[in-house]
Amino acid sequence: MIRYTLRRFLLFLFTLWLLTIVTFSLGFLFPEFKHSDPTVGSYLAYLSAILHGDWGVSMSTGQDVTEQLWIHLGATIELSFLAMLLSLVVAIPLGILAAMNQRSMFDRWVVSAAMTGYSIPVFWLAQLLILLFAVHYDWFAITGQITPLYDIPTRTGAVLVDVMLSDSANASLAFWDAVNHMVLPVIVLAMMPLTMLIRIMRDATLDVLDKNYIKAARARGLSELKLMRRHALPNAMQPLIRQLGLQFSVLMTNALLTEVIFNRLGIGSWLVKSIYERDYPVLQSGLLVFASFILLINLLVELYHAWRYPQVRQELYAEY
Amino acid sequence: MRELLAHQRLALGALTIVFGLTGCQPDTPPAPLQNGLIYCSEGNPESFNPQLDASGTTVDATAAQLYDRLIDYDPESKRFVPALATKWQALDNGTRYRFTLRQHVAFHKTAYFTPSRTFNADDVVFSFNRWLKASHPYHDVNGGTYPFFTATGLDKLITDVERINAYTVDIKLARPDSSFLANLATDFPIILSAEYAQQQLDKGHPENIDRFPIGTGPFKFVEYRKDILIRYLRNENYWRQPPEIEQLVYSITPNANKRMLKLLTRECDVIPYPLVNELTAMSQEENIRVLSEVSPNVAFWAFNTQHPPFDDPRVRRALSHAINRAAIVQAIYFGNAQLARSILPPTSWAYTDVNASYQYDPAKARALLKEAGYANGFSMDIWAMPVQRVYNPNAQRMAELMQADLAQVGVEAHIISYEWNTFRRRLAEGEHDSVLIGWYADNADPDNFFRPLLSCAAVRTGSNRANWCNKSFDELLIKAISVNDNDARAEIYRQAQQVLREQQPLLPIAHSVRYQAQQDYIHGVKLPPYGGISFRNASKDLVKKAEDKP
Repeated sequence: MIRYTLRRFLLFLFTLWLLTIVTFSLGFLFPEFKHSDPTVGSYLAYLSAILHGDWGVSMSTGQDVTEQLWIHLGATIELSFLAMLLSLVVAIPLGILAAMNQRSMFDRWVVSAAMTGYSIPVFWLAQLLILLFAVHYDWFAITGQITPLYDIPTRTGAVLVDVMLSDSANASLAFWDAVNHMVLPVIVLAMMPLTMLIRIMRDATLDVLDKNYIKAARARGLSELKLMRRHALPNAMQPLIRQLGLQFSVLMTNALLTEVIFNRLGIGSWLVKSIYERDYPVLQSGLLVFASFILLINLLVELYHAWRYPQVRQELYAEY
Repeated sequence: MRELLAHQRLALGALTIVFGLTGCQPDTPPAPLQNGLIYCSEGNPESFNPQLDASGTTVDATAAQLYDRLIDYDPESKRFVPALATKWQALDNGTRYRFTLRQHVAFHKTAYFTPSRTFNADDVVFSFNRWLKASHPYHDVNGGTYPFFTATGLDKLITDVERINAYTVDIKLARPDSSFLANLATDFPIILSAEYAQQQLDKGHPENIDRFPIGTGPFKFVEYRKDILIRYLRNENYWRQPPEIEQLVYSITPNANKRMLKLLTRECDVIPYPLVNELTAMSQEENIRVLSEVSPNVAFWAFNTQHPPFDDPRVRRALSHAINRAAIVQAIYFGNAQLARSILPPTSWAYTDVNASYQYDPAKARALLKEAGYANGFSMDIWAMPVQRVYNPNAQRMAELMQADLAQVGVEAHIISYEWNTFRRRLAEGEHDSVLIGWYADNADPDNFFRPLLSCAAVRTGSNRANWCNKSFDELLIKAISVNDNDARAEIYRQAQQVLREQQPLLPIAHSVRYQAQQDYIHGVKLPPYGGISFRNASKDLVKKAEDKP
């Protein structure tokens, strides 16, 4: 495991290093933004500035990029984790139930709904939900993280955390207001991984249910519930977890769109705005952090997967 | 509405289950929502000081909220009213104005400034000298351009601002000018704090004066996050009645569609510039009110009076009678404009209705043409602006409609257009037969509609699109600005409009309308006929709204 961890970690560092080269060369792709010469020396200076947390100053707002970076990242982490959580909480039971009742009406319904959901473009889904639940029914807010009349100081960028940290007299109202702002973007964001995870979970469960040890367990007279919980579920989770990293990457791509559509604070909307405004310091560091964040999540998922399912490690080391 | 509330409770219940948390929906609206107002503005202000930027967005965001001026203009009574100056009088034949200042007016106390004294003459001298004197230490801070004062010539008109005593200030003028007070009553000559300015200068950060503003206005600055919001709090020590709302937030929403959606979802209390083609749909929403105000502008058709046959007033009058202006207003502005009955909009105190001479009457037009010797008509050019302007959203289309009208009386019209800068340059050189263009006034003074547009001096500078120089008309204009009594001036302007009626160097077409949409529980946020929006008298009545519902 240590060996595997080290290997993955080195690969992670190497990818990060490649990323810094890419962001450094951005300066030469855009003639307006000549911060230095394309020499090894200036690259090393850039690298050392990044490592020392000196990410420059935004050309659009004049604010310190490092400080802004954490706030925007905090907001994106909050939104994407909640969306991932929602998709897991919904997808796992639905996938299992569909597998247990294979070829039933329920199964067909779940599979076709998942397929449909998977085919809906995020921006269209967002508009649809806005029109239906915000404009027509007037249930949810559609822009920002919170009604700006609640004066909640931005500390972490994650609005629910900020509300809890604040000493506002209206903290509980503000919390619900923030939740209200979060519902639609979280649903939109959860949709794509949700539909994928349902299908993965269903297929994985079907696979496992077909295994001999399940038949044996059933023959020993285990109840269906116990059978699923003790034998089927832990084994069916393995392909799902293997997919989580990939699904998270897809989710992050959609987070970019979702943050823009719902005018939410976040690294995605920050990045898009910096592109429009040719704000290169923000563009450079936003890109670097956005990509590193995805890489880091993938690394963590892989490490957990390898730790939890040792057989995977063996597959990776074919020479053993 | 009952259905809607039920849905809301249902949704909230569902949420509680989903998140496994308990919350309760209060019966009365939460205090921050009840006491705050959200205005979804269309853009970021360039500065927090309207002296530096005359754009509507900056003015709406700052002028009436943060600052006060020496005098204000009251559009209801159409008079100047005291603001930071309680009294003023013209001395030395109108070349010196003495202002008596209001006492006990507090400047904003904020996290970044605590005033040690109240408003006095030093603040007036500082605020005026900043843009007046190039040698002033603050003159070049944050750009050093003062567009309003340059455009109106106020920086040339005022020769000196002198402190007589702590509460008396004299402003000396190069010559008498009765539009002077009107210019003072605009959003731009605001009063800054000299004490704060000195403090920032000592700290070596003079640029803060326009970034962390201090004024005497009804609201004080809290925070500004670019592209997101501006937050103001009520100035509890305001010298007038302090505002009813405690908090004022500008939620910056450049996208017009999104502004409308946010109004529908009640994330905005008030929005400016709703989409014109959505106005009907929006006014049918039961909780939304659409306000409109004829803004001080005019679209007109100017004849180049130096090109025959337009040197003959009969030809000009004939052409005016040939145009069906009511149909044009309907087709071009979708009814969102008023038919012009004079060059002055009806909101001006000097307005006179001279519509009779512009009436659509093709028979009369033909008779006049015959009288002038053009019984068989002639051919002419209409120059149409290539760009959209507040006063004319589509000059090209307007020219096409006029082309059809003119054909009815035997006049063949060709439509001409160039790229905007070329268009204006060739216009100034007088190459056109006639042109469709317009004017947007800077202030409430009627002079602003006459001298820049129709004086002999304007022929020389090229802004007189009719190239029309009439000695007796010019004398009337000069007489009007050297008289100070408003009633006497109104009489002179009435005569001037009669001259225009007879001579018709141009045909006024329409005064377009500015729109604003808001929730029905918002009161006291009116669209001002001149200048920026003000939230001083705004109030929000969510409680009453809730009681109204069954």
